[in-house]
Amino acid sequence: MEKQLLINNPYIPKPYKILEFNRETNDNFTLKINMQVNHDPGQFVQVSIPGIGEAPISICSDSRNYIKLNIKEVGNMTTALSRLKKGDTILIRGPYGHGYPMKELKGNSLILIGGGCGVSPLKGVIDYVKNNRKDYKDVILFMGYRNPDDIIFKQDLDQWKKDYNLQVTVDKNPQGQFCYDGEEGFITEALKKANLSNQNKVVLLCGPPIMMKSSIDILKQKGFHDDQIFISAERLMYCALGVCCHCMIRGQFTCLDGPVFRYDKIKDFKND
Amino acid sequence: MGEMEVLKTDKKRLLTFLNKLKANYELIAPVKTDLVRFQKINDINEIYLEKNSYFPVKEYFFKKEETLFSFKGNKIEAPKLETPKRVFFGIRRCDLNGIHHQDKAFELVKDPYYKAARENSFLIGYHCNTAPSPYCFCGSLELVDFYDLMVYDRKDHFLIEIGSKKGEALVKKYKRYFSASDKVITKEEKVIPGADRLDKKDISKFYDNPDWEKGVSQCLSCGACTALCPTCYCFDIKDEVKAKNPKEGERKRSWSSCQVPEFTKVAGDHVFREKREERFKHRIYHQLEYFKEKNGVNLCVGCGRCIQGCPTRIDFVDILNKMEDGKTTANK
Repeated sequence: MEKQLLINNPYIPKPYKILEFNRETNDNFTLKINMQVNHDPGQFVQVSIPGIGEAPISICSDSRNYIKLNIKEVGNMTTALSRLKKGDTILIRGPYGHGYPMKELKGNSLILIGGGCGVSPLKGVIDYVKNNRKDYKDVILFMGYRNPDDIIFKQDLDQWKKDYNLQVTVDKNPQGQFCYDGEEGFITEALKKANLSNQNKVVLLCGPPIMMKSSIDILKQKGFHDDQIFISAERLMYCALGVCCHCMIRGQFTCLDGPVFRYDKIKDFKND
Repeated sequence: MGEMEVLKTDKKRLLTFLNKLKANYELIAPVKTDLVRFQKINDINEIYLEKNSYFPVKEYFFKKEETLFSFKGNKIEAPKLETPKRVFFGIRRCDLNGIHHQDKAFELVKDPYYKAARENSFLIGYHCNTAPSPYCFCGSLELVDFYDLMVYDRKDHFLIEIGSKKGEALVKKYKRYFSASDKVITKEEKVIPGADRLDKKDISKFYDNPDWEKGVSQCLSCGACTALCPTCYCFDIKDEVKAKNPKEGERKRSWSSCQVPEFTKVAGDHVFREKREERFKHRIYHQLEYFKEKNGVNLCVGCGRCIQGCPTRIDFVDILNKMEDGKTTANK
């Protein structure tokens, strides 16, 4: 009985090894973990540190040999995670939820819009596209950060610039620091200026609620339909299984039906 | 099951039957203490059936707090779950449905803790001849037959309806306490008279009605409604550590409440349902709409406890009944 509970128990995480710890910014880092699992970009895992708790983190890679998790230090759990080192054990369960439906989107051009650490799940999409490049047409990336110090995945920017249409903005660049392209202003302004038609394009969007709302408004002005836009929702989660109810948005469970929703399916939902 | 077999008995034999059960099982039934509550029965005469229990029976299956596992660093140990053989007696139709609905919710995720707590339990219902509280409205909802045995109090005798194979096996084992009967309990007889005060069955068009606010302005966000609800099943998960060694401890889950602001608070202190009205409405819609969308049955069973137990007596049934069509706050 006791053994059985340990094996078929959806609440119990399993141990994995940290293969790499890579610091992205002062308060952001990426872990590479030897978890070998099938997953879609946009799905997430529940990461545990016993004694501290558990947190849902989206997968920002596309490999069957490992997963990468990009984490911003915002609370107890993420700060505790930042103290882990290469070689340490980490407890994980998952992956969970519905990610970006990459197979259904074959044949389209992709517009990826990310704000701050909202770029993390989109990084999973970028890696996926790299592994399946012929399935998609143009790839247009918009990435917005508060200031140059907040830019994550800096080491990939040169390659992305070569392979795709990339635009990075910073809200403010007070000291005129290094910044890719040097663009200053909200990402939504860059989006507004961009010459985009909605022909055979889908938008994958992740970022703070206000940034997602403004982006959607701009996209609709440019002729995009609600069912061409996919957003990733953030909610408080405990179980990640669809029973604790914290992540419910109206009748939908973010952990189960989301976190990626096609916008026409949840557009009537406000902050509820 | 199609037509359910019915047996007959009298008070003396029924009590003897319960006494026999008590000898072989843990018998849990309503007892009048400060309030009426389900308790382990020591003396059969403690059983109190005049009113429904103030607290639902859910805490025996979905525990207020339970350990998911214990840990020493990254080493995890699952708890040993042992549930004694239990007979629950005197559960009303609403609360039996509450168990049925919670079974559905926890079955979906194959929750081993809930499953273990539900194992080895017999459910013996007690039919309400009249609505036991003025807040009852089970008759407004579509309840299902869900019990091993159901007792119908016919004043000078009792009818026992067999609701499951388990129930059938139980009465067979104690057959001397029952006589055969050709009585059939009709669908109409299962409806409790006077308990149908919720007029609105479909509440989908009232989401943006401004009258929600009117009703909820007295809400204290105390969470009594969700704690007293036989179906509310949300929970938190927290780690508890030993003071001597913070690497050792237990991961526990405990009842939560969607009525407190913290329920939707994410990192950075953003609260998604910040207003009382949003939280109140969320619960009612989960109870009367969302759960049905996914599971085909209303979550609410119409027991009225969330109204009876509310410190400011917010009556969502009354609020809904008075809501007018076409009023909206939506600014689209």
